[in-house]
Amino acid sequence: MKRFLSITRDPIDEAGLVANRTLSSGMGAAVYFSGVVRGQEGADAITAIDYSCFVSMAEHQFHRLFDRLAERGSVESVRLVHRIGRVAVGESSLWIEVVSAHRAEAFGACQWVIDEMKQVVPIWKTPVMAAEASSPLNPNPTS
Amino acid sequence: MTIPVTFWSYFAELAGCSETVVTVSESSTVDNLLAALYQAHPALSELRRSTLIAVGVEYQPGEYVLKPGDHVSLFPPVQGG
Repeated sequence: MKRFLSITRDPIDEAGLVANRTLSSGMGAAVYFSGVVRGQEGADAITAIDYSCFVSMAEHQFHRLFDRLAERGSVESVRLVHRIGRVAVGESSLWIEVVSAHRAEAFGACQWVIDEMKQVVPIWKTPVMAAEASSPLNPNPTS
Repeated sequence: MTIPVTFWSYFAELAGCSETVVTVSESSTVDNLLAALYQAHPALSELRRSTLIAVGVEYQPGEYVLKPGDHVSLFPPVQGG
């Protein structure tokens, strides 16, 4: 399985990523997802999210997920870009694409990587409030 | 042996620093290290149940036996995406 991973402070070039897609003749599905920063966090208006990251561990954990994905044998490629640093409302913080022979595998794998990422990849968000100073998104993680 | 510890996300604010060093005896576990760490940083102990622990770039349980050269990281639940 081919893989591409980028954890970057640069804006995600979605058009460029799509233009660079490669897939073999046996592949019939290319599913991609773009996660965009919303303008609200709960009831509060925000202007951006600051993403912090333990980069070396994040890269390792992403590749472990990709290893597990490869074991399925049905995915030809996965490409994932996660932005860190300040990401403004309306901009993409995550882009992932999965190529496989059939759509069910591609949709399922795309969703699976995102779900697993949210469990194991050390990235954290701090919203930049529109009116006040920022505060952690989850100040009470035991709740 | 001395074990460097890094705090990530808002754990650094709670600890008052992003890194520290903890001295533990040979064959100490992560739990032993946390006990020593929480004496110096009691605000973190209240979040023990939700604290994620890594040694190097791998998650490890409290029973993990530390070795010279290990680097421990503590952080809250992750939030990528």
